[in-house]
Amino acid sequence: MLNIKILGSGCANCKKLEAVARQATQNLNIQAEFEKITDMGKMMTYDILATPALVINEKVVSSGKIPTVADIQGWISTAQ
Amino acid sequence: MDLVLKLFNGGAGSLASYLAAHVLLCLLPAFFIAGAMTALIPKASITHWLGRHAPVYVSYPAAALAGSLIAVCSCTIVPLFAGVYRKGAGIGPAITFLFFAPAGNIMALAYTGNILGAEFAIARLILCLIFGIGIGLLMATLFWKDDLTHDAQADALFAEKASVSGPALGVLLSLVALLIAGTLKLWPLTADLISFKVPLFWPQAWQDTLFDWVPYDASKGEEGVSFQGSVLIALLLMIAATAKRGLDNITEGANNWTWVALGLTASTLLIASMRLTPEPGTLAFTFTGRVFGVALTMLSVGYFARKLPAEDWQGWLWEAWRFVKQIFVVLVVGVFIVGMVRQVIQPEWIESLAGSNTVIANAIAVGFGVFMYFPTLVEVPVARMFLDLGMHPGPLLAYLMADPELSLQSMLMVAAVIGRKKTAAYVGLVASFSIVAGLLFGAWVDGTGWLTLGAGMAASLAITAAIYQLIRYQRKQTAS
Repeated sequence: MLNIKILGSGCANCKKLEAVARQATQNLNIQAEFEKITDMGKMMTYDILATPALVINEKVVSSGKIPTVADIQGWISTAQ
Repeated sequence: MDLVLKLFNGGAGSLASYLAAHVLLCLLPAFFIAGAMTALIPKASITHWLGRHAPVYVSYPAAALAGSLIAVCSCTIVPLFAGVYRKGAGIGPAITFLFFAPAGNIMALAYTGNILGAEFAIARLILCLIFGIGIGLLMATLFWKDDLTHDAQADALFAEKASVSGPALGVLLSLVALLIAGTLKLWPLTADLISFKVPLFWPQAWQDTLFDWVPYDASKGEEGVSFQGSVLIALLLMIAATAKRGLDNITEGANNWTWVALGLTASTLLIASMRLTPEPGTLAFTFTGRVFGVALTMLSVGYFARKLPAEDWQGWLWEAWRFVKQIFVVLVVGVFIVGMVRQVIQPEWIESLAGSNTVIANAIAVGFGVFMYFPTLVEVPVARMFLDLGMHPGPLLAYLMADPELSLQSMLMVAAVIGRKKTAAYVGLVASFSIVAGLLFGAWVDGTGWLTLGAGMAASLAITAAIYQLIRYQRKQTAS
């Protein structure tokens, strides 16, 4: 199953990112496992400079901004 | 019951003066600037200079620059700090960045200058810069052993190069120009240029009612709600309502509400820069130079913004709106509470504790900043209250420097990255340097000659350099 991680310390941006990502999986009718990572140590294992970050199947697809639903749908399709 | 009414009026009066025109002309552009910095300045453009191989005279200033231009909220500051620490030039520049970001970002500085006066803002900037680099250097020498263990794969994070695009730079500079046009108290901005009267009977009556509802006391720093103030408050409420619909989903694209909200914001800025004076039977509109300055700079912002790709300007508006939601409500509540507390605290208490520029007074101010948590920007109205109650500017600056740096929440996050021992050392250094900064600024305000001040500054820098050399010497001893 698709593994989607949201990296962020819990502020409005990461909440928004999670909502957008969930919308994307809903639109594509795909089952995905969502994980929210707020621990700083775990976040640093991914090479990111800024939160919120989106990780699909262990690959960092976006960091530091909120992508559109369409963008996320595109990444999900490529990851399948 | 009488006390409750008095407290409520104190809170309302304080809030009214904070929603006054001159504060809005500072805060509204500042939110847009913060949003633009977060969305339009690629992190890579500055973090590039923070890699492991960057020489000291590049990485420390770059860290300070990053702190002021890239990060406004702790959710950006802490991950970036962790990244710079673990994978970049190490603890020194990381600490400088961590120290400078809460105090040296443009929102904090603009608001400080607006509420407390330009001297405080400038002092905050200069002293934070010098001491930020100093603290970073000291931390680097204290904990040099840990810096030696770096990841080899870390360089990728800092290899990326980026620059700020032309339109983005245009937007940023226009926004800064807007902030200056809105707040600078200088001719020709303050000159009255055009004035005309519109016959309306109700503004005068409405203003009298307002002064009845919110009686104000000029000696206590309350401004009362004027007619113009009430118009601005009404506009703010309308902006809140429309912005919620227009900006909550801006990353998916703009809708009609977006343009309404932006239009209302522009109108608010224009109305804030003119003067509306009710007179019996008429309303007088006075256009000052400021109105034209604000209008021109807003047109400039719009001109450059139109050249930005959709992703960029949408990201900008999203970040700005995010800051508004995060900070403005808390700020309003904070100001209201400060207004209430103001009614209770006696000036004598403040004057006896921190009325003069002594070491104890500065230490008390720093202690207060450390133990009392205030959300971002709220430390400024709190500082204003203390200033009005008789606190000396020296301890006040010490408080202003220590408070944003040392919130419990961010210290916990920092400890998760660098460990409790280093965090304790950091807290100790920030407290000491804040006291010194307060003493220096207080001495300057007291009229101490430049020679004495220069000597004091040189002395503290010399002590810092001496400690730095001492640690390096000890390190060499242990190494051999």
